[in-house]
Formats: sequence, structure tokens, C-alpha cells
Amino acid sequence: MEDAIEQQPSTELTQVPISTTNPTTQINTLEGWIEQLSQCKPLSEESVKQLCAMAVEVVKDEQNVQPVQVPVTICGDIHGQFHDLMELFKIGGPCPDTNYLFMGDYVDRGYYSVETVSFLVAMKVRYPKRITILRGNHESRQITQVYGFYDECFRKYGSANVWKTFTDLFDYFPITALVENSIFCLHGGLSPMIETIDQVRELNRFQEVPHEGPMCDLLWSDPDDRGGWGISPRGAGFTFGQDISEQFNHTNGLSLTARAHQLVMDGYSWSHQDLVVTIFSAPNYCYRCGNQAAIMEVDENHNRDFLQYDPSVRPGEPTVTRKTPDYFL
Amino acid sequence: MSAVAAPPNNTVEELYPIALLMDELRHDDVASRVQAMKRLDTIAIALGPERTREELLPFLDNVVPDDEDEVVAIAAEELGKFVPYVGGPQYATLLIPILEKITACEEPIVREKAVDSLNFISESLSDEQIVHEFIPLISRLAKEKWFSLHIAAAGLFKSIIIRVSPDLRLDLIKLFSELIQDDSPMVRKSAASHLPGLIDLLAENFSTPSTVGEFHWDLITLMFNSLVKDNQDSVKFLSVDVLIAILKFLKKINEKQYTEELFASLISLIDDMSWRVRYMVADRFEQLVINFDDDQYTLKLVPNLISLMKDNEAEVRKAISKQLPGFCKAVNRADSSLVLNEIVPVVSQLSMDESEAVRSALASEVTGLAPILGKEATIEYLLPVFVEMLKDEFSEVRLNIISNLQQVNEVIGIQLLSESLLPAITALANDKLWRVRLAIIEQIPLLAEQLGVAFFDEALGQLCMEWLWDPVYSIREAAVLNLQKLTKFFGEEWCKVELIKRLLAKKQSKEFDNFICRITCLFAFDKLISVLSPHAIATEVFPFIDSLKTDQVPNIRFNVAKSLLSISEKLLTDPTSNEKSLVVRSIKPSLEKLLNDEDVDVRYYAGKSLNTLNEFLENN
Repeated sequence: MEDAIEQQPSTELTQVPISTTNPTTQINTLEGWIEQLSQCKPLSEESVKQLCAMAVEVVKDEQNVQPVQVPVTICGDIHGQFHDLMELFKIGGPCPDTNYLFMGDYVDRGYYSVETVSFLVAMKVRYPKRITILRGNHESRQITQVYGFYDECFRKYGSANVWKTFTDLFDYFPITALVENSIFCLHGGLSPMIETIDQVRELNRFQEVPHEGPMCDLLWSDPDDRGGWGISPRGAGFTFGQDISEQFNHTNGLSLTARAHQLVMDGYSWSHQDLVVTIFSAPNYCYRCGNQAAIMEVDENHNRDFLQYDPSVRPGEPTVTRKTPDYFL
Repeated sequence: MSAVAAPPNNTVEELYPIALLMDELRHDDVASRVQAMKRLDTIAIALGPERTREELLPFLDNVVPDDEDEVVAIAAEELGKFVPYVGGPQYATLLIPILEKITACEEPIVREKAVDSLNFISESLSDEQIVHEFIPLISRLAKEKWFSLHIAAAGLFKSIIIRVSPDLRLDLIKLFSELIQDDSPMVRKSAASHLPGLIDLLAENFSTPSTVGEFHWDLITLMFNSLVKDNQDSVKFLSVDVLIAILKFLKKINEKQYTEELFASLISLIDDMSWRVRYMVADRFEQLVINFDDDQYTLKLVPNLISLMKDNEAEVRKAISKQLPGFCKAVNRADSSLVLNEIVPVVSQLSMDESEAVRSALASEVTGLAPILGKEATIEYLLPVFVEMLKDEFSEVRLNIISNLQQVNEVIGIQLLSESLLPAITALANDKLWRVRLAIIEQIPLLAEQLGVAFFDEALGQLCMEWLWDPVYSIREAAVLNLQKLTKFFGEEWCKVELIKRLLAKKQSKEFDNFICRITCLFAFDKLISVLSPHAIATEVFPFIDSLKTDQVPNIRFNVAKSLLSISEKLLTDPTSNEKSLVVRSIKPSLEKLLNDEDVDVRYYAGKSLNTLNEFLENN
């Protein structure tokens, strides 16, 4: 029965008129979209097309290793849990007053991938300097056809056009970020084919996430307790040990590698003796994992602070028990 | 879409819609068939009534019942709106056969859609059509062997039961009572869930002395008694709503002679072996009491209430907890000593229930007992319960008590409330759940207003400042707003000494190196602008905000740009203002400086503020 908790039938998809010639009108349009999206109401297909066209112009000039300044709040997977994304802003503060860096996986699994990714992209276009959005392994044509975003677009818009518009945009998303030359941020992890950050800068990122190779690894790899490189059980990317992290952070003069990609019960988790941190920002992942979510605030003096939070409270919705039934244990 | 809606002239175009629909309805992909079915009305309009009757309906009759459930469900829904498309009510009965086929579907959602559509269509049928087409449909469905059709039949009585002749009505009610006693529990369940609605309809139309015979009391009670004795608890528990409907009818016609008998049935339900039946009674307890509408029975139910509060199933205890204030109000009218002597001791036990869901339910309602018990008894017996529940390990329990303190305040007054609850409140001020902290902050203005300055400063002043430095943004935001409200009550001098001085002291501390601390101070000063005098703004608020215009963090600088506009508007519009010159002398130059900032957002907000300010200066 829990699976039957459905979103409201897609509300009327309204359209805000747009002019690309007058910047004030464009800002008004964007703010209109943001207002609509913040109520979890999806944009019309036409508006999504306009928004993504504007977004391509913004993100295509960003770098493979996008520089980011402090203070900034670093966040992990969201996975279509729109209401929990709103909870995230209640905890960390609204954008643009707070600067954000999201490390990918906005879509799939949750019920509101369309609203979630539309909202984040609209914020990116409105405040390009205040929010950075990286690409996760789910920002891909292949993965979204299996894990829900494709079906959700089809259900909400009656065709795959919106899915196509977004997945075309994902090809332009930056794949990593570097906070003040000190914290290297990316969705998955390291790659045996990447020794220096400069090598990331040389990749051609404007493509579907490949099945193998450095770009694939950056979006798919996981840290591991075992040293060296290992074969990833995911079938893509690698596992990397503490020796690899030490070498990479040392070579590139980094204090920390921050990544997302893995469910961690406390919302964040240190590995490799504090050289790598995993941040996961989808509380009660898939509405049943019972995990806390977290975000990491880095202030202008590079002090780090983790904020943990629970799922948002949505009055009127059936609450799914967060306790794992005994027979799973 | 609009192109298809226009009446076509050309023969090729004429054939197009139905051919297209046929193609799409044979598409391999279910999603395409669903989409095609959703456009059924457009196709019907394009075809016109005659061809809809002669081509579209036979076609649908052929393909629809064998399709996937998703597609059939849409068809069932669309066909309900089809009366105008087939040429009006005289042809409406043509829609019945296909919907009848759909009702055989085992999937409840599909069946319900077909039943809804049939009910809707029945409204446009003439009496003649009802007698010759619709009632035979109900009879056919009810007499078929297949249980699914019996369930569909049970849903069709409500739309026609009133409009038919008395003889037919009697037949229908008899037929319905056969469904109530059907062999299949699923049919009995469906019929039982429709019965309260039918009783309400009968009660609404036949409650005068001359028409009351049409209510068919004997058959109704027969059905009720059969449900109460049903061997399936999932059927039996539906009799509770039937009982409420019957009681409403009796109350309406002011008839008392059956009450004793019905009360006996209720008692048997309360004592039922199945917790689901007891849960249903517990969940409807207040409604039952209201509709028995007799102090004598209300008082008799007190022991039953207590047994439900002590039920061994947590769901039952949770349901009855929610009914406490409503029931106690009724008991109190009959005997004012009972609530205190009999019920409150059990409430105390329930507040320590092993199930957190029960405690949480109780916490959301228990404060409603305060107005019933009155001041003395609340202080003596309820306050200790509240204090204990405020310490509950489950945060929802604490939150539910805090959120409802207003009710208690109205009964015992803030002085007593704060004296007894203040320790608990201050303990919760640092609760690990941020929504609990938020709920406390939201109570602060109320406490402040009633406690007065002196007591407030001593007890809560420190807390109000500490919340400003909370790690969670929403708490800081609420804390800032709280300072604004407090300044409204306590005035400017208090604000200067208690708030501004402390905020400025923060500027000298190490925490001010942190961006969050600085922006919070900025927000706090910004919110004070609307409640302080122009003089205080010019001397205290402006210098602080202006000093942040060179902050290293752009987010602070663009908020400075926003705040400078708020200051200007206040200084220019407040009638007591002697500080208007400050706007041109200092604020405008600051904004102009920000207009050349290196950050795009700072430039944007500085430009926006400056434009508004210039317009303002021109107009005044």
C-alpha cells in the first residue's frame, strides 16, 4: 500500500510569457517559474524548453572543474524528493542568501523528479553565481529510462519531449567543482586514468555519460576500505582505497574530496581518515530507508559544519513508518 | 485538437478521426491507448451524435472490455460524460450496455468508475427510462452469479432510490437487503458501506409523519441487525456508520422507543472480540454520543470509554484518545464530577502509554480537557500530565502539547501556566528536533505579552538571543522575527538595551568572523526597521548595516543593498522623521558604490533598490 502514495494528478501546466530581449522581463519570467515550481507545480512543456535553452547558455561556459568560492553549502543526492529539497533550504537557508553546490542525482526514484530538476535549473539560470549544479550518474539518458525520470515525464506531460530536453541539457552540466583550490567535489569518485585535476579539465564532457573511461569513473566510483583500485560491484567506475585518496589529495594540494552517490545512514560519512567525505541529502531515501540527510556548510574561513535533517513534514499525507519491519533484519 | 473539433465537411477528413482512434486504440503501447481514450470526447464531437451512436459505440463495445485496466478505466470515466454526444437523454440508455460490461471487471478502480458514470447518466434519464432500463440493469447485476456484479449493483441504488414510485422503492430496498446478506463478504462489505448514504437519503425525504412509512424501518433495522451479527469483522465494523445514520434519523423524527435496543447493539460492538470493530466504535465515539443525544446513555458509556482507553490494541487506544474532549464535554453536561473522578485518572495512565502513537494522539487532544475541567482542576490534575508529556522521549508528543498551550492559557492564565511549565519550556528550547524549538519560539510573543518585561527578561531574555545562533536557518529566521515582535510589546528603549546592545557586542566577538553570524545580525537589524523610530534607525541601525557594505561575502553585500532601501522608505515616510537628509547624504552614495560591485547579484539588487529609491524621491 505504501507504494500507492501518489502525487496529485498533474495540475494544469501553466506558462509564463517570456521575452529574451529584455533582461528585466527575463528575470521576472524566471522568478515566476521559480515561484510556481516552489509550490511543486511543474512548468509547461514550452516553458521547460525555454528554461533549458537558457540553462545551456549558462552551464556550457562553466568548466569541467568549476571553481567555487566560500562560503558555500555542499549537498548530495536529492533523487526527486522535492519536499525534502525544500526542507534542505529550510535548514541551510534560502538561495540566493546562501550559496549552494549540488553534487548531482536530482532525478529518479522520488515522485517529483520533474519539479526538483526544473527548480534547481531555474535557480541556476536566475542566480548562476550563487548555485552550482554538477552532473550525477543519474543525469543520463540510459539511467533515467530505468529509474523513473523518463516515466515521470511521460506521465506528467504525455510525451517524452521534456525528458529529451532535460537529458540534452545534462550533457552540458559541469562534472566536478573545486572549492577555493582546497575541496574537490564530484558525484562519484576518482578514476585510475586521472592523476591530476588538470587531466579532468582536458576531458570532453559534452556527451552522454560513457560506459567506461575517466568521465564515467568520476560519476560512478566509490571509496573502499581495501587499498588500491578495485572492480566496482555497480558495473561502472571503480572502488578506490585510502592510498589512492592520499596520493590524489597530495598531488593536487587538496584538503578534502567531497562526493555523494552512496546512501549513508547519518547523511554524511568520513572515509580514508578524513580525506574523503560522502554527503547524501535525500532523507528517508526512496521514502523507506530511514536514513538522515545532511549538508556540509563551509564558511569563509574553511571551517566545516554538518547539518543533519529528517524528512519534511507534509500534513495530510500518510506517514510511512520509518522502522524497518523485523523480517528484513 | 481544435482542428478536430470543427465539424468536418470533406469525406476524407470525416473518416479520419474514427480511423485514427481505431488505429491508436489498437496500438501496442498501453500509454498510447490511454492517450487515445482520453480524447474520446473530441472524437465524438467531431463525429456528431448519429455516427457516435452508430459507429463509435459499437466499436468501443467491441474493443474496450478486453483491454488493459488502465485503458478501460479511462473509457468508463469518459463514457459518463457522453449523454450530450450521443444526442441527448433519449439516447442515453445506449451507453448502459457497454458500462454494464465494464462493471464485470474485477479491478475495483475500473468498476467504481463505471458505477460512477452510470449514476451520473441516471440523472439525465426520464422516469420511463429508469423503470424500463435502469432498474432492470440493477436487478440483472444483483442476480448474476459473479460477485463483482453484485458489488456494482450495490453502488447504483443511491441515484434513483428517492425518485422511483413507492412500490418500486420497496422492491429496491428488499433487493438491497439481499445484497446486505449476500454469500460473498466482499459484496456485503460494499453494500454495508453504501447503506449509511441510503439511510441519509431516506431520512432526508421521508421524515414527516405522513411519509415516515416510506423509510421502511423494518427492513432498515433488519439490515442493521444482520450487519451487527455478521461473522466477518470487515463487514461488521461498517455497522457503526449505519448505526450513526439510523440514530440521526430517529433524532430527526424525535422517536425514542428503539433507543434501548440500539444501545444494546452498540454495547455488543464495543465488547466485540475483533479490535477492528472496537476501533471503529472508538473512532466514532463522539458522533455516537451526540446522536444518542441522551444524558442517560452518555453516562452509561463512561465505563465503556474507560475500557476502550485500556484496550489491549494500541490503534483502539489511539482512536479513543482523539475523542476525549468531545465525549467529556457531553459527560460534563450530565454529571460534572465524572470527568474528574473517573476519566482523568485513566488519562494520566494513557499519557504514559507504551505506544508513542497513542501518546502523540493524546497529546494533540488532552489540552482540550482544560476548558471542561475549569481552572482549579486543570491546575491540580492536568498540569502534571502536561509537564510529563513535555518531557516525553518522542518529539511529536512534546510538539503536540506545545502547539496547543493556548487553550490552557485561556483557562488558567499565563502566570500559572508559565510558572509550572517554564522549566519544561526552557528545557525544550534546546530540543534536538528543530520543529520543537520552532514551536517554542512561536509561543514566546504570547508569553512575553502576558509576563511583562521584568519577568520576561529574567526568564526568557537570554534564550531569545541564543536562538539567533542556532545551526538551523529556520530557527534563526524565527528568532529574528521574534525580536521584532518583542520590540513591538516592550518598546524602543527596551530594544536598545536588551537587543541592539547585545547584537553590537556580537560584532566584537570572534563569531562575527563567520558569515552566518554576520548575515543573521544583518537580518535582525533589517527586521527592526519597521518597529523602531527614525531616530533610532539613523543612529543605531543604519551605521551597522552600512558598515557591512564592504563585507567580503557578496551575499551580505546584496542584502545590505535591500536593507538600505527599507531604511530609506522608513526615513522618508515616517511622519516623525527628522532624518530625511540621511537618505541623500549617505544611503544613496552607498547604493551607488554597490552598483559598481564586482558581483553580478550585488549590482542587480543595488540597481533595483536605487531605481525604487529614485522613483520615490521624484514622487515626493
